[in-house]
Amino acid sequence: MARLLRMPEIAAGTGHATLLAWILQPGDAFVAGDEIAELETDKATVGLPAEHPGVVGTHLLPAGREVEVGAPLAVLLDSADEVPDVEALLNGADENGETPRSGDAAPSPDPSRPRQFVSPLVRRLARDHGLDLTGVLGSGPGGRVVRRDVEGLLSVRTPAAGDVGAEPRGPLPQASPPPAIDDDRTDPRRVPHTRTRRTIAARLTESKTTVPHFYLTADLRVDPLLELRDRVNQASRDGQRISVNDFVVRAAALALTEVPEVNVAWTPDAMIRHEHADIAVAVDTGDGLLTPVVHSAETKPISTLHAEIADLASRARAGKLRPHEYAGGGFTISNLGMHGVPAFAAIINPPQAAILAVGATREAPIAVSGAVVAAKVMTCTLSVDHRAVDGAPAARWLACFTALVEDPVRILV
Amino acid sequence: MPVEHPLTAAVPWTELTVSDADWDAADPRLLRSLLSQIQLVRSFEETVLDLAAKGLVHGPAHSSIGQEGAAAGSIIGLESADLVNGSHRGHHQFLAKSLAHLVPEGIDPVAPLDDRVRVLMRRTLAEILGLAQGFCNGRGGSMHLRWAEAGALGTNAIVGGGVPPAAGAAWAHRHAGTENVVVSYFGDGAVNIGSVLETMNLAAAWKLPLCFFIENNGYAVSTSVAEVTGESRLSGRGPGFGIPSWRVDGMDPLAVHLAMTEALAHMRAGNGPTVIEAEVYRFFHQNGPFPGSAFGYRGKEEEAAWRARDPLALISHHLQRRELVDQDDLDNLRAAAEQAMASAVAELTEEEPGGREGKRRVRPDLWPRRDFVDVGIRSDLAEFADSRYEEADSFPHPMTERRFVDVVARVVERRMETDPSVVVLGEDVHRLKGGTNGATRGLAERFPDRVLGTPISENAFLGLAGGMATDGRFRPVVEFMYPDFVWVAADQAFNQVGKARHMFGGGTDVPLVLRTKVAIGTGYGSQHSMDPAGIFATNPGWRIVAPSTPFDYIGLMNTALASNDPVLVIEHSDLYPVSGLVPQDDFDYRIPIGSAAVRRTGSQVTVLTYLAMVAWSIEAVTATGIDAEVIDLRWLDRASIDWQTIEASVRKTGNVMIVEQGSRGTSYGGWLADELHRRCFDWLDQPIRRVTGAESAPSISRVLERAAHAGVEEISAALLAAVRDSGGH
Repeated sequence: MARLLRMPEIAAGTGHATLLAWILQPGDAFVAGDEIAELETDKATVGLPAEHPGVVGTHLLPAGREVEVGAPLAVLLDSADEVPDVEALLNGADENGETPRSGDAAPSPDPSRPRQFVSPLVRRLARDHGLDLTGVLGSGPGGRVVRRDVEGLLSVRTPAAGDVGAEPRGPLPQASPPPAIDDDRTDPRRVPHTRTRRTIAARLTESKTTVPHFYLTADLRVDPLLELRDRVNQASRDGQRISVNDFVVRAAALALTEVPEVNVAWTPDAMIRHEHADIAVAVDTGDGLLTPVVHSAETKPISTLHAEIADLASRARAGKLRPHEYAGGGFTISNLGMHGVPAFAAIINPPQAAILAVGATREAPIAVSGAVVAAKVMTCTLSVDHRAVDGAPAARWLACFTALVEDPVRILV
Repeated sequence: MPVEHPLTAAVPWTELTVSDADWDAADPRLLRSLLSQIQLVRSFEETVLDLAAKGLVHGPAHSSIGQEGAAAGSIIGLESADLVNGSHRGHHQFLAKSLAHLVPEGIDPVAPLDDRVRVLMRRTLAEILGLAQGFCNGRGGSMHLRWAEAGALGTNAIVGGGVPPAAGAAWAHRHAGTENVVVSYFGDGAVNIGSVLETMNLAAAWKLPLCFFIENNGYAVSTSVAEVTGESRLSGRGPGFGIPSWRVDGMDPLAVHLAMTEALAHMRAGNGPTVIEAEVYRFFHQNGPFPGSAFGYRGKEEEAAWRARDPLALISHHLQRRELVDQDDLDNLRAAAEQAMASAVAELTEEEPGGREGKRRVRPDLWPRRDFVDVGIRSDLAEFADSRYEEADSFPHPMTERRFVDVVARVVERRMETDPSVVVLGEDVHRLKGGTNGATRGLAERFPDRVLGTPISENAFLGLAGGMATDGRFRPVVEFMYPDFVWVAADQAFNQVGKARHMFGGGTDVPLVLRTKVAIGTGYGSQHSMDPAGIFATNPGWRIVAPSTPFDYIGLMNTALASNDPVLVIEHSDLYPVSGLVPQDDFDYRIPIGSAAVRRTGSQVTVLTYLAMVAWSIEAVTATGIDAEVIDLRWLDRASIDWQTIEASVRKTGNVMIVEQGSRGTSYGGWLADELHRRCFDWLDQPIRRVTGAESAPSISRVLERAAHAGVEEISAALLAAVRDSGGH
């Protein structure tokens, strides 16, 4: 029997994905689990596996299109000699209230959420006052955001009723006009955004502009850790090289177990307390930042952590992460030590409540019992969402983490 | 057994012919000047056709070749102060009138061409080519040639459209006490159109010194006269209206001159209009350089027969016969005329750079500038320099209650007292104690010569008023009993009155006031219940004012009557009986163009409305308790509307509602909403809302009439919806 292959919902809340390439062509036979097509979301490239054995009948869309979730991609047949009634199949899709040919639909500019309608007046107010309308639900027709919905958000005096022409005068908090958009698509200097880039931009802008960050810094003495790492690596039989970062990830996981007040997520209505230390590790893919997640890191020995992180990082760089592998982190570690950066502060990845920025290990003079000695030092900076975590628990967490790193045997046990 | 008595027309209908004896008796100077004019026009027209064939004339070139004798013969006896206008085929009349004006002593065919004549030929050609140095700055072209100084009122591209305005100029001549006349030229095709026949009736009724000059060239484009009328002796139209009429051979300039001499005597004596039918022939097709036979509607033999009667050949023959000129003189005259045209062409055109041999183009620096396109649609308002403006809430002197309708009559009466140029005309305005509404009460008694009860012919009397206004000696106040009648008068309202200033170059004042009343709610049904604001607002040239209070009416009517543009003054039958405070004894103040009145301040929504809907809007605002700002627009047209007040209010409220009473289709608010969306887009919290009547015109039935127009209930519902859509409840 002929059936439609539809665009799956690759990750929760994903409305669209790009049909990157057809792996199987019409007439190709497949068994369950064979990948029929390659799909791309804003995070990753994945294969679309067959659920049952069969033969590819017809492609309904060419590769390269952005497609709505649920839209038919191809007709799959039980056997090659079957003659499908494609029209009837598609009409059936219609009756189910599903989109029959969304490949024809114009791509939505932001596939991660339905279009938000904003009145021209509110758009201007948002521009003039630097308002972020993300998530604002309007009370106008069809959910349109109207002036009344944003009056509470206005940070400066707005034209009062009965006050003709009372435009705000003088410079506004965000007075600079939006940068001119270069519409010349033929300009060779112009590099269109990838979806990854757009996602990074949106998430980090949201974080930096709406999350109240505060920062705690500690200089960690890491001579013992470096010695321990060398001994572990020398003892390794399969040649795997545990990194400083692997130790840092495990130390952070243990510290989150010790100080659970930091292992939380902020949502508008409630605090989410995580049961496990799910640690996102920032990976530079060359095309942008990805943060694959090591789930329940506190439960995994360092060799397992090392293997898992290495695998996630290499697949992140290849664009081959599965959605569940970058979803759901509770805490992020960003390490720029390999680039020689001594210290930095990172932007929190919401709804996480904290991110740890790890600098390079360097030699520095330190005072020990009244004498100056040379030591290996690593500077770590914890960025914390003050809505979710206060200064004291954050400081306790950093002290706990520091103690673990400086006495690294505890990390191994 | 009935007894039959033959009836005859009350006026003579005559065919005038001439013989050699008449030619022998004619003044040599007259004949020599006629010859010169005909040759100049002929050479001019040949040049136009030549340029048309080369693609240098944009649009049609309606050649008068073959018809020059009728124009020259009828015009050579006119004075400068006598006026002419014409139709799409009017080069010959325009040139003849201008030549007669420039060289009143007559043009000697053997003398060198006067420089004034050369300039005239060049500027006329420039106008036909659409160039800035033309008589109408290049706007008019071949079909809108106007040179007021020479008494050429303007040719017209609407068949018969120039005839009603000619009657207005004739009225002005007569009422100013002159003996001057107006000659309106039109063709056989125009003789069956309402404008001409209505005007014949009106001119005869009012004994206007107007000559209806029919150039019967036998064809309306390709349709012959006999095909489309039962009486193809077109001068026969005159006697039915009581107008003495002549038929004459239009190929014979002297015969035409003599017929016109008789007609002039009749008109200058104050006996009223005349009709002259000149039988002529255009040697070419409707337009362009090919003969009609090339298009198959007439034969070459017919064309040859008429060509044998060429007026230029005829007058040349008689002048040679009388030894007033010889062949050399004729050749020299033709050479001089052609040389004048060649030098005009050389001044206006040049070799096309890179074009093939002989290919020419208009000299690029001679075109009008592109930014001239909208200049002079309306007056520059200089006429308001010394105005005294008043508003009701700041008026410094005692006020008293008066009914709206009484104020209408009183302010016009006051203007008639102070300004002898103000003239009132319309149906029944002189009877019934102030017309059907009482809005002209007392005027006819005080100013019997300036209050004119018209026949029921809106197109003719609005056009006549337009002619009065462009003449400049009078300021007509026209009343249309119902606004729907503008459709009857649409040509005069929109093609003539509305466009005259711009089309003729931007400098022609058209001080005309058209009063009418919206009668929605009176049960007069589908054809008497239009609000005309929308129709006039989309036709350039008109200013529109819609007063909602007696005080405003005085000020706005005074402004309208001071304006050098046509102004539509909209009244409302519901407002006539309403009383309001007006000055006890001041009927002279004005209210400026471009001033709306904020009738109620509010914060939630801006209501833009006018006329009777102002009070209803305030009633709806009160009933709903919504804090709306109600703006009485007062001035409605694009150029006069008060953008400043409107935009300030929109910026305050973020919501706009345009409220009007009448049908959706002809409604006013569409263009305003369009304009406001662009002017105020970033200030709008929801789409501009509009309240109008239904799609249908209001019916006679009381229930259906109410259902077809907007009122307090509709405004209230829209106010509530506007608040709901702005997130309120």
